[in-house]
Amino acid sequence: MRGIININPEIRDAILESGGDDAIKCYSCGRCMAACPWNLIDDLDYTTYRFCQRIKLGAIVDSEAKEDIAADTDEVFRCIGCDSCRHECPRGVNLSDVLRAVRRILVDYDSYPAELKGVISRLYSSGNPLGESSAKRADWAKDLGIPHFDGTQEFVYFPCCLPAYDARLKLVAEATASLLTKAGISFGIIGEEEFCCGEAVRRVGAEKVFQSAVNNNTRVFQKFNVKNVITTSPHCFKTFQTDYPAFSDIQIMHVVQVLHQCLADGKLKPERPFKKKVVYHDPCTLGRQMGIYDQPRELLQSIPELNLVEVPVFNREFSVCCGAGAMGLWRDWPQDQRLVKIRTEQIFATGADVLCVACPYCLQMFEENFKSMNVDIEVMDISEILFSSLGQ
Amino acid sequence: MDIIACIKRVPQTAEADVKIDSSGKDIVKDRLQFDMNESDTYALEEAILLKEKFSGSLTVISVGTFDAEDTLRIALAKGADNAIRIKAEDFGELDGYKTAQLLKAVIKDLKHDAIFTGCIATDDYYSQVGVTLAELLGMPHASLVTKIEIDGNTVHAYRELEGGLLEHLAMSLPALFTIQTGINEPRYASLIAIRRAAKKEIKVIGKEEINAEDIVSFSSLEKLFTPPVGERAEILSGTLDEIGTRVQGIVKEKGLL
Repeated sequence: MRGIININPEIRDAILESGGDDAIKCYSCGRCMAACPWNLIDDLDYTTYRFCQRIKLGAIVDSEAKEDIAADTDEVFRCIGCDSCRHECPRGVNLSDVLRAVRRILVDYDSYPAELKGVISRLYSSGNPLGESSAKRADWAKDLGIPHFDGTQEFVYFPCCLPAYDARLKLVAEATASLLTKAGISFGIIGEEEFCCGEAVRRVGAEKVFQSAVNNNTRVFQKFNVKNVITTSPHCFKTFQTDYPAFSDIQIMHVVQVLHQCLADGKLKPERPFKKKVVYHDPCTLGRQMGIYDQPRELLQSIPELNLVEVPVFNREFSVCCGAGAMGLWRDWPQDQRLVKIRTEQIFATGADVLCVACPYCLQMFEENFKSMNVDIEVMDISEILFSSLGQ
Repeated sequence: MDIIACIKRVPQTAEADVKIDSSGKDIVKDRLQFDMNESDTYALEEAILLKEKFSGSLTVISVGTFDAEDTLRIALAKGADNAIRIKAEDFGELDGYKTAQLLKAVIKDLKHDAIFTGCIATDDYYSQVGVTLAELLGMPHASLVTKIEIDGNTVHAYRELEGGLLEHLAMSLPALFTIQTGINEPRYASLIAIRRAAKKEIKVIGKEEINAEDIVSFSSLEKLFTPPVGERAEILSGTLDEIGTRVQGIVKEKGLL
């Protein structure tokens, strides 16, 4: 209990100016707290509905005591931007944007979780959160005969950082490229000039680093006169549409949209049976935030003998986040405070053989957690399942 | 207790793709994040903890260009009362000795019971400024300190030596300490302190106040280069599988298993 608070209009105004003006709409009904996946964890109360009120009074992260500041800051950086709260909010408050406004001020003053510093630094200097060399960004494609985009192809395929570099996720990029080739889609890749989309750094408040990503990708896309983009990651898919002003006349498509269209046009014909029980996990960004629920399911249902099941209740717009958003992938939460464990239990209860995802973050998060929890469920990207079902 | 903490703004190079610039004397910095030097964050925190315990004032000083004022503001937001920037641009190429002389020129006129610096800077790794400054000021000092306790006018400073040995020094104040990382948990700044820090004046001292002719270097930087591959080093290339197989072969060849 903190006692009587001191109203500080200056803090309030600074947060509102940093993009937190949605806070004004909140009336503390608490539906956000009921919707927030953190509150599915035993003994953890994430009182999300208090944030907006405290911001309106300028009484957030306002203590002078070291322990109180640390506790408040940890709470501000806990939100992983899954948008469950906004979906439930009667006034549509975008709480993750409100918290991002607070984070922007704190990040400028070096007051954010230490485990994020290296990631942000690597992204800024290398163009990807792994710190890999940009010269290796197209290595995943070198044996596939994929051309460098030169304006003669219709689409740019933007694999995102993890599928470009991570050994497991490269398989997703390969499967996607192979599917696009098989469907006769004209596409190329940008390769080493590509830069991380920056969605995650924006969510944690590192706005200057995000702007460097925007500037870099905008320059490169304009240089090659890119008009159509296919992304593997829902995060690139979303941020290119909502946070890149210069991309307003570029068509950005997530790969499931393209594959769904190919299926409808008869360009892809899944023929080989996939005799497994598959559960589809709706990624927060693709589902709740971009409204894509049916296309991935229809793609899976087009595959012979695939038995598609749902996580009861917590599916589609009620899907529970894997915890990787807003750089959650790089956070070091205590073992008993991991959203991925909650979601793993829900998925395990379906009795599925395969977990199908459509987001590189989800794939990495689940695969690592399944290993640590000894869960015998295979994690596959939707492009991998679809590719395995194509005839020769 | 009046305390001084010396801090430095440095590029984050630990995980960056570092390249040498065309001058051959510096690295390309346009894609690097800048932060307070890591051990300086611990030195600053140690200074704040002491100030909170014994009251008094805390002044932070940085020898740096204009951007260093951002780093000084972070220190102000975390608990420093006053900030001074010594204009690095007025004094040419700096080595540890020259930096220490600049700090001495300012600190000698400030009231101080204790001075804190980081134990090493992650840009040049000289690790000279703290100890040289103490010598120039004629102060007792302890380097690479991992624990500090104050009892009256006696400071008990602990330093890690090689081989698991711990050295315990009993010192009188005023004294200088170069602080090792991990000694404490550096704090976050509160929004209230951030707003306050944003409005604080930072005192700037340059060649008008410090006679540059008296400030000389002991060393000069000839050139930067990546270390040549040693005769007995072999750099493996190829895929992870190929490298793994080769390492396995080498380990077997050398009879290491």
